[in-house]
Amino acid sequence: MEVNELIENSPIRVFDESINGGLGKGNIGVLASKHGIGKTACLVHIATDKLFKGEHVVHVSFSGNVEHVLNWYKEVFREISEYKSLDDAFSVYNTMRENRVVMNFSQENVSVDKIINSLTTLIQQGSFQADTVLFDGYHLTKATADDVKKIKAFAQAMNIEVWFSVSPVLTDVQFDQYGVPETMKPYIDLIDVLIGLRYNEEKSKVIMTVVKDHSKSPSHPTGVTLDPRTMLITQ
Amino acid sequence: MTKELKLMRNIGISAHIDSGKTTLSERILFYCNRIHAIHEVHGKDGVGATMDSMDLERERGITIESAATSVNWKDYEINLIDTPGHVDFTIEVERSLRVLDGAILVLCSVGGVQSQSITVDRQMNRYKVPRIAFINKCDRVGANPYRVVNQLKEKLFLNPVMMEIPIGLEDKLEGVVDLMKMKAIYFDGDNGEILREEEIPASLLSEAQTKHEEMLDKASAFDDELMEKLLEGEDVPNDLVERAIRKGTLSLQLCPVFMGSAHKDKGIQPLLDGVIKYLPDPTEVTNRALDLDNNEAEVILPSDPDAPTVALAFKLEDGQYGQLTYIRVYQGHIHKGDELINTRSRRKFKIGRLVKMHAAEMEDITDAGCGDIAALFGIDCASGDTFCAPSLNYTMSSMYVPTPVISLAIMPKDKKSADNMAKALNRFTKEDPTFQTYVDPESNQTIIKGMGELHLDVYVQRMKREYNAEVEVGMPQVAYREAITQRADFNYTHKKQTGGSGQYARVAGYIEPFTPTEDDEDKEYQFVNEVKGGAIPSEYIPSCDKGFRAAMKKGPQLNFPIVGVRCVINDGAWHPVDSSDLAFQTAAIAAFREAFLKASPAILEPIMKVEVEGPSEFQGAIFGSVNQRRGIIVSSTEDHSNCTIDAEVPLAEMFGYSTVLRSLSQGKAEFTMELDHYAKTPVSVSDELKKEFNEKKKGK
Repeated sequence: MEVNELIENSPIRVFDESINGGLGKGNIGVLASKHGIGKTACLVHIATDKLFKGEHVVHVSFSGNVEHVLNWYKEVFREISEYKSLDDAFSVYNTMRENRVVMNFSQENVSVDKIINSLTTLIQQGSFQADTVLFDGYHLTKATADDVKKIKAFAQAMNIEVWFSVSPVLTDVQFDQYGVPETMKPYIDLIDVLIGLRYNEEKSKVIMTVVKDHSKSPSHPTGVTLDPRTMLITQ
Repeated sequence: MTKELKLMRNIGISAHIDSGKTTLSERILFYCNRIHAIHEVHGKDGVGATMDSMDLERERGITIESAATSVNWKDYEINLIDTPGHVDFTIEVERSLRVLDGAILVLCSVGGVQSQSITVDRQMNRYKVPRIAFINKCDRVGANPYRVVNQLKEKLFLNPVMMEIPIGLEDKLEGVVDLMKMKAIYFDGDNGEILREEEIPASLLSEAQTKHEEMLDKASAFDDELMEKLLEGEDVPNDLVERAIRKGTLSLQLCPVFMGSAHKDKGIQPLLDGVIKYLPDPTEVTNRALDLDNNEAEVILPSDPDAPTVALAFKLEDGQYGQLTYIRVYQGHIHKGDELINTRSRRKFKIGRLVKMHAAEMEDITDAGCGDIAALFGIDCASGDTFCAPSLNYTMSSMYVPTPVISLAIMPKDKKSADNMAKALNRFTKEDPTFQTYVDPESNQTIIKGMGELHLDVYVQRMKREYNAEVEVGMPQVAYREAITQRADFNYTHKKQTGGSGQYARVAGYIEPFTPTEDDEDKEYQFVNEVKGGAIPSEYIPSCDKGFRAAMKKGPQLNFPIVGVRCVINDGAWHPVDSSDLAFQTAAIAAFREAFLKASPAILEPIMKVEVEGPSEFQGAIFGSVNQRRGIIVSSTEDHSNCTIDAEVPLAEMFGYSTVLRSLSQGKAEFTMELDHYAKTPVSVSDELKKEFNEKKKGK
């Protein structure tokens, strides 16, 4: 299969459709759930789809372990390329590597200003034309509305699509029926797309629900789920 | 004689330049030698005790330079192993880090954790070396050990635990408070050799109490018994606390901090006690080897003196008696007269003279047990070789040697330099398998090859310094490779009629890009014979193989070796009289060249994995410098004020990078690089290379 076909047939197209054709540049999207549901894999899958399209992606991580993030990409790529028997996988992967930067902050409680500053440096001085920025494991639940405003301004100024994966830091946080933590309520207006991830035992799959969608339709299912084995988005 | 392994320590001293590593080593030798000398006086004949200080000084100066020095501290034997200053040469660093079991990290109380400390510390983390810290130069203006302790936490992510606090600082430094014993220690005598223990000065009592509690608190995480006793408010014996700190240190989760001033003879003896108490003995470290008889499978070497011998030659030295080979014994023991095998060369040899290097003398010994560091005379080997009992075939380091990626022409300035250069090159190639040399038959120049500009530069400097060989160096050259990107057919007839028997051979088939699997022994070339019905007689098939191999040695684009080709022959023709081995070889070479140009040839260049480290404020400039060099940024990591950028950059673009980096970061950023893989050069670059090559050829 060629890359173009692979992009067309990707379950991400279904996902995009469920949120009115995708997140779009200058907007903020959030994947929210409890810990260990598979948000990182989900983010990496979204990123891989962008990379297939030749777009540039910055993966912002807070784990202190870059190797770990790179391995996720390797795994997700292997999973997709083998399953769909992608043509010329080696050179496709190489192009993807060139268009991806992992930016890691190992300091605890790093400020939003510092992250934005580093991203701007990379984009401007490193001439890296980022299309999408992923915040993997950012403590958004501890963030203030002000922080989120800054990120929104950055996304709009740089014309970038921003995705967050969010898990609450505190253990006693209440989750609503879709898997979205209560602590996000103060700045929910600033978020354009909010997806809740929740494990459904009956179906033994992770259900993805659109909780907020460009302030249009009320909550509805995405039409995709997470495969519990690969943690990838499937139809 | 097998020494008690528990009484042995193999340690390295690592430090940033100017933090006082030499002075500290000197003091350690001095105090240990003192004890040693006193023992000698009481024990045997008084050798060593009568030496005057000048002699001692001189002798010491020599031995400080040596790769490993044995000293005795109390009942213990400590082997001090020299750690290389350069962190760029992975092989050398790997070797020295694997022979030591623990390390003293020396830090300047004014300068604190400097960039080089960070690099060294990272290496040690990679090799899991437990370490204790010594904050030196507490007598200096601006000394602040507390700040350095904080930096250990913030910059090196260590978990420092202060074992001492200073009594006075700067020019008022008098001694230290031992937080374990809760006593003040002063260093009397001409050289601080007399320890005087007193009560803690009243002004420091509350501070000492706080730090003592802190120490107990940190230690308790590593020992349940200690934790329980503390929770119940019981008194805890010191040995229990020491046991806990030892556990924490060995598991790399704790870093005991000592302090003082080597120059003012303060704080050295407690540091040595710390080495004994908190750094591992050889049995507490897991050593691994690779079994060559079992596909390089990893085996753990038990520190068992009765097991078959495994030892590593980690350093060679030219001494007045010939080549001195430093070894560390990992398993079994080495006895004079034993026969061992060098697993690299498969050569058997007999142990002749076996010695131990002491602070002031060289001692002949007959046996070196496991965990021991010793030196051998007159063994022909290279640095990094593994010596095994004949029953084993282990290697301590993988036999894989990366291929050099850069070459440089060197020309001696005069006759004397030429002789010395030859000697130097002979030595260096033995020491370092990634450093190679040959004489280019076309230009008659000596070419040296290595892993990077800096790598070669250091050897050129060493030639001058150690061998008095002055050389002129040419421009560095990248070792390119040539490859094909698609399949191409060939059908070539070689015919020659020159009276007598002629030459006749025809070969047909195709070449295509070859991606090796793990099972392929030759990763660069594969020959497939699909000839049916005897179109080429089987005796001439190897001739075709030989011809292809010969053609691969020099590519038609830039004269660099061709890699990654599968050659398939499926048809041909021969003549009963005129066909020969040579005729088929010639046909194969010509056929290959014909097909190669049709197979969309490309030029491959070495891509280096580059790691740049420096203060965050230079992040942008570093990003820019990578970007300008056709590099891709793989990742960037930031913590506090520091950032590390991992990138992949073509080697050809990295020449002179150290100068560029220095000037863009005010000398505060550093970089290391190693070969990652080979990749196709962009068309613009390969066109440029071909143009240059053709011009050079025409110019000849």
